[in-house]
Amino acid sequence: MTETRTTTEAPAATPAWLDEVPVRRLLEDGLETRFPLPPGDRPLVEPGAAVLPGDPLLEHIRGRRIHDVEVHAGDAGRPMPGSRWAPAPGRRRRDRELEGELLAPVPGKNDRWRLVTGDHRVVLPSPVAGLVTEVRPGAEICVRPHGRALRAAFAAGSAARGRLELATDPFGELRPGGIDVGRAGSILVVGSRIDAEALTRARAMGVRGIVVATLPGKELRDFQASERRQRAALHAIPPFGVLVLEGAIRRPIPGPVTALLERFAGQEVALLVDPPALVFEGEDPASVEIDRAWVRIRSGPNAGAEGRLLGPAGLRRFAAGVQLEAAFVELEGEPPLAVPLGDLERYA
Amino acid sequence: MSSEQPVFATVDRGTATVAVALVGRVDARWRLLGSTAAPAGVPQEALLERLRRRLAATDASLAADLGLGSVGAAAGIPGVACSTSPAPELAVVAATERVVRPLVAAASMAGWRVRPLVLDGAEILAVATALADPRVGAVLAGASDPPGADEHPLIADLGALVAATTERRPDLVAVLAGGLAEPGGRTEGLFRPDRPGPTVLAPSPAAGGGEPLRALLDGLRGGAHDGRRALATATGTLADVLQRRIEVVEIGQTGAARTAAAWTAGAAAVPRVAIVPEAALLPLSFSDAHLDAVMGWLTIPLDRLRVRDRLRELALAPWGDATGDGALLRLAAARAALARLAAATPDFDGQPGPDLVVAAGGAWNGAPGSAVALALADVLRRPGVRAAGLDHARLLAPLGTIEDAEERHAVIADLRDDLLVPLGSVLMPAGLRPGRSAGRLEIRGQGGPAELDLVPGGLELVDLPPGGRAVVELQLRDPVRLGLRTRHVAMEVAGGLGGLLVDLRDVPLQLPERLERRRELLASWQAALWPDLET
Repeated sequence: MTETRTTTEAPAATPAWLDEVPVRRLLEDGLETRFPLPPGDRPLVEPGAAVLPGDPLLEHIRGRRIHDVEVHAGDAGRPMPGSRWAPAPGRRRRDRELEGELLAPVPGKNDRWRLVTGDHRVVLPSPVAGLVTEVRPGAEICVRPHGRALRAAFAAGSAARGRLELATDPFGELRPGGIDVGRAGSILVVGSRIDAEALTRARAMGVRGIVVATLPGKELRDFQASERRQRAALHAIPPFGVLVLEGAIRRPIPGPVTALLERFAGQEVALLVDPPALVFEGEDPASVEIDRAWVRIRSGPNAGAEGRLLGPAGLRRFAAGVQLEAAFVELEGEPPLAVPLGDLERYA
Repeated sequence: MSSEQPVFATVDRGTATVAVALVGRVDARWRLLGSTAAPAGVPQEALLERLRRRLAATDASLAADLGLGSVGAAAGIPGVACSTSPAPELAVVAATERVVRPLVAAASMAGWRVRPLVLDGAEILAVATALADPRVGAVLAGASDPPGADEHPLIADLGALVAATTERRPDLVAVLAGGLAEPGGRTEGLFRPDRPGPTVLAPSPAAGGGEPLRALLDGLRGGAHDGRRALATATGTLADVLQRRIEVVEIGQTGAARTAAAWTAGAAAVPRVAIVPEAALLPLSFSDAHLDAVMGWLTIPLDRLRVRDRLRELALAPWGDATGDGALLRLAAARAALARLAAATPDFDGQPGPDLVVAAGGAWNGAPGSAVALALADVLRRPGVRAAGLDHARLLAPLGTIEDAEERHAVIADLRDDLLVPLGSVLMPAGLRPGRSAGRLEIRGQGGPAELDLVPGGLELVDLPPGGRAVVELQLRDPVRLGLRTRHVAMEVAGGLGGLLVDLRDVPLQLPERLERRRELLASWQAALWPDLET
């Protein structure tokens, strides 16, 4: 495997053909993350508010149900769908405990509304520091995090926050036995892949999140099924998320990403699910510079390999007689290899 | 395009790939100078420069004449462009399953991803939560006109729920159809007239075969220079230019389109179009049923888990892994998508069969033309004789954005020989009786006469190169369906990369249930039309 170069050399003139190689941004600014706010859940923030990690973001109702209530237009004006409602003091006992969100009026019955309510309420804290950009009752809360984000391919579970720890090298695989309570509260970087058993053990050990290069579909489905069972239980469980950086077929974490993760090891990071991303709030990671001729083979027979781009190879014939635009890539210790441009990616 | 300018570019920007072509004036007519494609993130300027570099290397004097002799000269040339984007989501809600079905049928051909919701038997909270989902861009609520007895108890709830959703999300587009669409009626009165999002009264899905509702929903989707609408416009113009009945089937990463137009003397062809996100190469709603469909067309032995993972990779990086097994997997996914497109648009099959079927879209990239011809024949099982072509440079959709109909006609007429790669012709009789021989086929072409014994269930290939033409004469023992019911017919067919495919397989295609046997059969057919498969 070719060593990934991260450099601070003065930039040289970029050849024009380099633009033909797809670019993937290592870090993004201005990412907006969404937290679901289904009817009944109560937002605890206002648009424009600043939130810090751990600040209450919303109150989630578990086991939502609908209850018909009598609502009169009061001082606050006519009742609106999405607004909160609680009985006036002194109401009959059976209505007294009710509090919730007005869903819709009951047709044909004056002043009767459907109220979304529930008995078990959980306050969800913000996993990230940022600015609340939008609150849509019954829909979502949007937060723009402070800090820069590393986008991933997909995620499962829920948004979480923890101390970043590297559990294996970028090519490795973490087995269930390698996770103990000493990892509680951390977000673990576990190399190229992980199985569902290790994921559920990590969750049980108090790990807050897993960052992994790839997760096969079977492991993802098994984990999601386990997650559903956990969430259906009466007691609330701490947030736990899985962030998959690359895809479903095994390959290592890309070199520049590894360099970034190593740099932030030991610091608090936020793992987001929608969109899937890891947010770094500490020192500015922008100074990680990448050799522009460095490329990673994303897919195809050499998927995961990294090397230096030598130049365009033009239209080339590949396996099954398929003709594609290609470039020559030098992998460590090997002669130049023609690789379809579509299988390559550069980080910027 | 002004005849004074020497060159222009076409850009078809899809969700997965971007295709760019250079078109220049050569000998007083527009000709295709070159085309290329790349992942969608690659800037079009880089691709134009690639084409310019290639033209200058091939014909320096032509490049100089067109002003493309120097580095960067292609950057500022004018062009026509279109783009496609991921389909927005439409919640379709009605009181009963009976009512929601035709609404869904119309909406799913209008370029929306459809989320059907039925009140009858459902929990109000679940329906309200789905309606409030921020991914939903519009709501279509409908009722029979007049509402049926099964709907009456739920109609008021339906109106109240949708109106409440628009109170939460005032920008939401609400479409009331059929029995709910009475102007100034009780349902419309539930919606605030001063909210930012429109409340649209729409025709019933029963009116005009659903086409007026489909067209309205398509228009609400927005998207200036939408690639799929432009493709329909270009199909109409191409039908006029070629004076043929044409059908285009386009498969893209996040959607698909089927469009048809027929030439009629003295009038411009009116294209018919269906834009179906569910028929995307890998739809967002990808499920086990979608996976089974791809497995059913696969010609290589891959286990189910592996195929699922590779398709997920294809969804994440649709431009990657396009060689070897990857090309075969992609073609299997394209066949499955084409089958979904055909199933979603049964009305098209009720029209007279096309003279020419054109494959378009990024899904066909990489596969040899002859294999694409077979894929079309495998899935579009309509008896008759038709030519097949491939929109190889993805020119059709950008050219469809030329607003002036005369100008568009002139450009497409000039480019008629460059627009499509001829894939060949398909002769597909239906109703053959099983047996040793159904009759004989005589081919009279440039290579001299030849005869074929017609064995039901087989696929015969006749070498007929692009540009070649031949007369085929069929003499059958029993009458078959070939557009019309006949035993003896003679016709002229055009050649192509796949030659003439005499397709004597069942209509519709019957394949073995057992996956291994099915795979062997598909692979044997494909091997004959994919000569470099083993390299």
